[in-house]
Amino acid sequence: MARTEPFQIRIADLRERYRPQREWAEGRGLLLILAHFFTGAGAGAWLFAVPLGSDTGLVAGFFLAVLGAVGHLFFLGRPERFWRMATRMGSSWISRGLVGLSLFLVTAFLYLALLFLAAHTTTLGSILLALSMLGALWTIIYKGFVWASSKGIPLWNTPLVPALYIAYALRGGAAVLILLAGLGIQLGAWEPLEPIKLWLAVSTAVLVLIYLEVMRGSGMTALRSVNLLLFGKVALPFYLGAVLLGLIVPIGIGSFAYLDHIPAGLLALVGLLSLLGDLSIIYCIARAGLYRPLPT
Amino acid sequence: MPRWGMVIDLARCVGCYACTIACKVENGTPPGVWYAPVYEREVGSYPTAKRLFLPTLCYHCKNPPCMKACPTKAISKREDGIVLVDREKCCGSRACVAACPYGALTFVDEIKGEFGDELNPWERARYPQDGVGTVHKCTLCSHRIDEGNHEPACVQTCPTHCRIFGDLEDPGSEVSKLIRERNGAQPRPEAGTDPSVYYLR
Repeated sequence: MARTEPFQIRIADLRERYRPQREWAEGRGLLLILAHFFTGAGAGAWLFAVPLGSDTGLVAGFFLAVLGAVGHLFFLGRPERFWRMATRMGSSWISRGLVGLSLFLVTAFLYLALLFLAAHTTTLGSILLALSMLGALWTIIYKGFVWASSKGIPLWNTPLVPALYIAYALRGGAAVLILLAGLGIQLGAWEPLEPIKLWLAVSTAVLVLIYLEVMRGSGMTALRSVNLLLFGKVALPFYLGAVLLGLIVPIGIGSFAYLDHIPAGLLALVGLLSLLGDLSIIYCIARAGLYRPLPT
Repeated sequence: MPRWGMVIDLARCVGCYACTIACKVENGTPPGVWYAPVYEREVGSYPTAKRLFLPTLCYHCKNPPCMKACPTKAISKREDGIVLVDREKCCGSRACVAACPYGALTFVDEIKGEFGDELNPWERARYPQDGVGTVHKCTLCSHRIDEGNHEPACVQTCPTHCRIFGDLEDPGSEVSKLIRERNGAQPRPEAGTDPSVYYLR
């Protein structure tokens, strides 16, 4: 009699010494990866759009975060119980994240409503803007800690993961605004952003290198995870998505922008490729996670 | 108050999987969910090859990382040390699955029959139909313990007396004596979780 697929996968996992993490990387787990990507890029776009005075960036940031929140909701096994997730602020990073994301979404929505009514320069508008920035910052910071608090998975259980997620969220935010500028939606707002974006891309590349090197020396399980990233089943999305599209091409075009004016289409491409790179790195880190084996 | 725990004598395990099956029967776990799996590994090569078995379960840690990671307070620890999931509160975030260093929790996305999509009468009666979209784990047969001085099903079934159940707080209990006399070791002590299960070699 044919067995169901989860049965066969579980049997295979029980025989694996280094059991792969599947809950946050396969099936509905992909929604979590998308949710973290969209909320990070959305919150990052909001943070950059405020000082640049980019109203379109604010709207894009808000809607990306909404998309991420919807992804989070449908990732849950029982979405109707999502409100319960705010009940363990003391120890759960998911609880803390829900509060931060809710703060961001509610205050950002109210601020955009005031902006639409041309009443955003009031005291209430300033308070809402400050709270929304706090919520966006909170959203950017909490995500990495959700992954890093997983004790059983050495590739995630390191302070470098939150640092990496913060860097990628900021990079993603800048990429959203550059994409908008490239598409001609927010012309003129991107010039001060390009050096920031380039700096973020270079520093993120350095951070990825440091992360991989540190993980290589963090025990057998972490080393196997790094090998999965560099030579195993995750190598293709890592090299093609995270390295080539997400780092090399944007850094190359970004450096060229210093020397000469780059056309709007190329600018949009830089933004889009950066975002694809951000999504790839989140996927790759999730997919390469292996549990420490039980001693036998 | 006792602290229920278990000692597993690896030298006695013959890899018969009776504990795994007894647990499935006792708890009515759906396909793909094992509360008491036995991990097996082959070491060495011919002519000195041998198979190693590691009977497991939820280790009912004193400092359970799953409980800290659970955002909905669905996981709680009883006074007697048993860690339980309240499936009525679980939202299916799987944070506990990722947080557990021992892989003791399973997320159940759907419940199908062992022999096809349709459930047979036994499966309809025993599978937790309310448990779809939530996390499942070993309860140390708390229902049996609460009924009286019963042992968990895996312990009662083990033909080689490999799994021994008892009160870790009682220095005179069989488990405490075995841990003391044979240097019982907790799995992954470096994780700081203080499991209630000890292994003997």
